[in-house]
Amino acid sequence: MADITLRVNGAACTGSPEARKTLADFLRDDLNLTGTHVGCEHGVCGACTVIIDGRAVRSCLMLAVQAAGCEVTTIEGLAADGELGALQQAMWDSHSFQCGFCTPGFVMQATAFLGDHPDADEQQIREALSGNICRCTGYQSIIDGVLLAAQRNRQGATGNAEAGRP
Amino acid sequence: MTAIAAERYTGASIKRSEDPRILTGAGRYVDDIKLPGMLHAAFVRSPMAHARVLSVDVSAARALPGVVAVLTGADLEAMTVPGPDALMALMGWAGPTPEFTLLATDKVRFAGDPVAVVVAESRYLAEDGCELVEVDYDDLPPVVDAAFALDPGSPPLFANLGDNIARPHSRSESGDVSATFANADRVIDFRIDVHRHQNAPMEGRGCVASYDTDLGVMTMHAATQSVHVSRIAVAMRLGIEQDKVRVLAGDIGGSFGLKIGASREELAVAAASRHAGRPVKWVEDRGENLAASGQAREESFDVRAAVSQDGDLLGLDVKMVIDTGAYPGMGAMVPDIVEAMFPGPYKLAALGFESTAVTTNKASYVAYRGPWASETFVRERILDLIAKDLGLDPVEIRLRNVALRTDPPAAMVTGRPLVGVTSKESLQRIAQLVDVPAFRRRQAQARAHGRYLGIGVATFIEAAPGPRSPEGPSGPMGTESMRLRLTEDGIVVLFTGQMPHGQSHQTTLAQIAADEFGVPFGQVRVVVGDSDVVPFGLTGGSRSATMAGGVALHGARQLKAKVLDVAAHLMEASAQDLLITDGNVWVRGDPASAIAVGEVARRAASEPFGADVDANLEVVATFDGGEGGWSGGTHCAIVDVDVETGIVKVERYVAVEDCGALINPAVVEGQIRGGVAQGIGAVLLERSAYGEDGSFQSATFMDYLMPTACDVPRIEIEHLETVPLDADVNFRGVGEGGMIVAPPTVVNAIEDALSPFGVRIYEQHLPPARILELIAEADPGR
Repeated sequence: MADITLRVNGAACTGSPEARKTLADFLRDDLNLTGTHVGCEHGVCGACTVIIDGRAVRSCLMLAVQAAGCEVTTIEGLAADGELGALQQAMWDSHSFQCGFCTPGFVMQATAFLGDHPDADEQQIREALSGNICRCTGYQSIIDGVLLAAQRNRQGATGNAEAGRP
Repeated sequence: MTAIAAERYTGASIKRSEDPRILTGAGRYVDDIKLPGMLHAAFVRSPMAHARVLSVDVSAARALPGVVAVLTGADLEAMTVPGPDALMALMGWAGPTPEFTLLATDKVRFAGDPVAVVVAESRYLAEDGCELVEVDYDDLPPVVDAAFALDPGSPPLFANLGDNIARPHSRSESGDVSATFANADRVIDFRIDVHRHQNAPMEGRGCVASYDTDLGVMTMHAATQSVHVSRIAVAMRLGIEQDKVRVLAGDIGGSFGLKIGASREELAVAAASRHAGRPVKWVEDRGENLAASGQAREESFDVRAAVSQDGDLLGLDVKMVIDTGAYPGMGAMVPDIVEAMFPGPYKLAALGFESTAVTTNKASYVAYRGPWASETFVRERILDLIAKDLGLDPVEIRLRNVALRTDPPAAMVTGRPLVGVTSKESLQRIAQLVDVPAFRRRQAQARAHGRYLGIGVATFIEAAPGPRSPEGPSGPMGTESMRLRLTEDGIVVLFTGQMPHGQSHQTTLAQIAADEFGVPFGQVRVVVGDSDVVPFGLTGGSRSATMAGGVALHGARQLKAKVLDVAAHLMEASAQDLLITDGNVWVRGDPASAIAVGEVARRAASEPFGADVDANLEVVATFDGGEGGWSGGTHCAIVDVDVETGIVKVERYVAVEDCGALINPAVVEGQIRGGVAQGIGAVLLERSAYGEDGSFQSATFMDYLMPTACDVPRIEIEHLETVPLDADVNFRGVGEGGMIVAPPTVVNAIEDALSPFGVRIYEQHLPPARILELIAEADPGR
């Protein structure tokens, strides 16, 4: 066991994970942040992606103790005030997802990518998300969501945050 | 006339009510569940394909601090009740029934077969415990392929069967097979193979079992396509009365047929919880999922086709062998559906069909999105091969052979009427959309520059739910029920046995009920995933759109009639003069009379009514599928094959689909695209691979390659909605069609691209190395 201190979704937190515990398991088990999903445990599917110090990282390939002193953002940190973020809203509007298991990973990966590449085109987005696997959608609706978010970001527009509407 | 406007939801791409929780990490999947005192399970699995288990030594594992229990096959056998696979029993299987235990006892039957379960205070400790379990195996010859399994000398996997035949050979004939073949201009022989691949949902299997020792009640949190099938399976194997088993399910991370009922591991976890008297969680890791959750397809077809000189497909004679892997599953039942569907939408006059299912030392067969899909693959492959032999265009040969809509409708030679089928329209429309002549010109120009483009089309129909048959309900799995209630808050609550795992039922069923009842979308709640409160049901077989959509419509209508009866008394009006719009009951022509439906429910609960008024605002509705109908369509792929590397790029993909009336177009299109993506993956990437010794060779996503955003193109979709058959319910299922028709579509396109080399393709899995082999085999001088 090692005592670590890190910031998660803007708040300081401490923990004493076993040295072998992955960051994904630490977030899920110790911090109850179950939005981060574990899909393959070997870094291929991207479901466990979180943002660490501004970069998208696979939390199944990182030990919790390696995150000591880091700033970690998980899916729960994107709509902290209860309002969907611009990307989440665009993905809702685009019917991006089905079962939702890969969703946190895609949202975190795309959040990090759009932050660095606000003007990305479709092919660049596809390549940026090609390390995340979705089994349900065929990807088009996810790509459309990211493109819509990028477009709205450029235009300063927002979506309609109401259920039951097209 | 009125200021109260009705909003119509059905038919619009209403945003999903599931998404706010899914997009914020607030979904609740089975691995997110934590119960007080919960333990964690991990399985010791066989590295051998086929071996006798000589001994299992669990003493070191039991001694490890943090390990609470280690259970072997023998332990589990003593704690549970023997019996058949629950799903096969429910489906009425009457063939060979292997005797099996939840964990291996005398022998192991595939690489990944569970041998022992370690239950510990954490998953980490449970896996530590697994490392300490010593199993002594004695090798047996592995039965790795169907040919060996068919050999009476192959060592039987199950002693009580005596051979490796999971379904004995049978033959039947529809139409006059011998006369059809005798009168044919040509008889062409084919051998076509479909490879083993698998569901691989992003969330694997898992459960949290929690046995209450005092009450004798088992509560299971499960990832399942049916809480009721899981409940029945747990009750059967653990010997608990069904009413003392409660299965709960929350969000489910995909399934595609994998998670129907409770698997051997889940049943073992339930038994472990009863043994330990504490909740036990098990969530499989990806290695377990790929090696041991189950796999699908792996079928071979020896086909003779009777053909006229002009390209009429007159008859087929098919010999199917399906490799169902180790433990019993629905694979042995698949040939029946394959046979029934083999004619597709075509005017086939005769079908001879024989089949055998075998048992092998590989992962057990599970349903995978369109389990019978190989009928479409084989038929659509053969049509292209025949077209090449006769110099016909692929669209032309299909248009020549599809049954036209007539009154009375034409019937498949295997029996079912092709009522409302729009195959001809979808073929004609797709030919327009892709402009085949323009493509041929482009193809010729590209070839001149050493680029090999190809176009492929394939047509399918799917019984989703299928046409009404004279003898009764048309739903493939019986009727569908739903309980509906109006609450005092004005919420219309639907209790459905559907168990969505990506299909968006909490949105689509609410759309239908909101329209039919007359409340805003947000005033309908869809309750799923609790076997104590939802009626029996199963999400599968593409049945939800018609069956659950239909019962939502009729149930909302029945509930509305009840509410109007009560309101008529309260409002001193005739029920015929009352309307419900936007959540209010009002007298026609008098908007000022409106009262909220919740007010009606409150007064129904609190005020006295006479015996002639039923003030209990709840109904249980049942729907038999109405007139039913077929889903179907035609897909077209344009591919670019790099003949130096063997890499295939799908450049364009177009689908013309007819699933009747659309409930939610975005949801429908998501289903189609997702199915097509899996079909593209099946052809270009995915294979569940075994070595000659039965070792499993694709236990990671580095070995089992899943399609990514760079492999799946934009998929263009156009909908035909040509033939309403039922007065009210014309939604048809669309869950499986993409996966059924995409493999032949893509393979047909690849063969077309490689036609300059004379390549003919008789298989489904075409990774780059195989493409290069096919070119080299066809054109050795190259």
